[in-house]
Amino acid sequence: MAPAPPPGHFHILYFAAAAQHTGKSLEPLPAPLPLRDLFDELERRYSGIRASVLDHSLVTVNLEYVDIQADEEAPEGERVVIQEGDEVAVIPPVSSG
Amino acid sequence: MASQEQQNHPESLSQDNCWVGLTSSPLEIQSVIDRVRSPQAGAIVLFAGTTRDSFEGKTVVDLRYEAYAPLALRSMLDIARKAKERHGLKGVAMVHRLGVVPVGEESILIAVSSPHRQAAWRAGEEALEECKARVEVWKREEFADGEGVWRANRDGQAGERIG
Repeated sequence: MAPAPPPGHFHILYFAAAAQHTGKSLEPLPAPLPLRDLFDELERRYSGIRASVLDHSLVTVNLEYVDIQADEEAPEGERVVIQEGDEVAVIPPVSSG
Repeated sequence: MASQEQQNHPESLSQDNCWVGLTSSPLEIQSVIDRVRSPQAGAIVLFAGTTRDSFEGKTVVDLRYEAYAPLALRSMLDIARKAKERHGLKGVAMVHRLGVVPVGEESILIAVSSPHRQAAWRAGEEALEECKARVEVWKREEFADGEGVWRANRDGQAGERIG
């Protein structure tokens, strides 16, 4: 589904309400990007997305959930930085079944 | 690495007599039951979730599902393996349909087999509830009045962050 991102970028995937807000399912963003700056970057690009989507969503990096709140409180050296080639996803509240 | 995994787009995973799948085709009840059949089992419990034509009194004309496929499959396999371990099951199979699902048709099937029926009933229910709480699949309901809504399963369950 997702081709490799261009050099110096990571891919971010949007699902459900996130895709509805951004109007796309995937895009490359410049890497590296500290995880704690991700929501600010998305809000800058898509005004209002924080309140309507991100505040209710989880985030994965390379198919693993990351805890943004814990990351913000972690010591500088232990914080997650999104790297070139990573696959990040915004996961809104799920509704299978 | 993850992108490659997604490019390959595996539609099913299996391990330790647990099978999970995603498909855009109509679901086949018999094949899901056959996947958990075992000579050591005295019971197979099957749950079929079907799409309903209303939500809080509003008429739903169309439903569709999308998934973060590689992650959803991984979560489904984790749920299946834990259910098998916890309830001493012989097999677990679960499949979710994606894309448009006409009203009244199955969107999810879960089959479990066990030596005795009590464990199978319990495991089937638990596995379904855990799927609904955390598998990375989303349902969109299109209403007769033209509105469309990405549905969220119950607020406050694991896998969701409440704003």
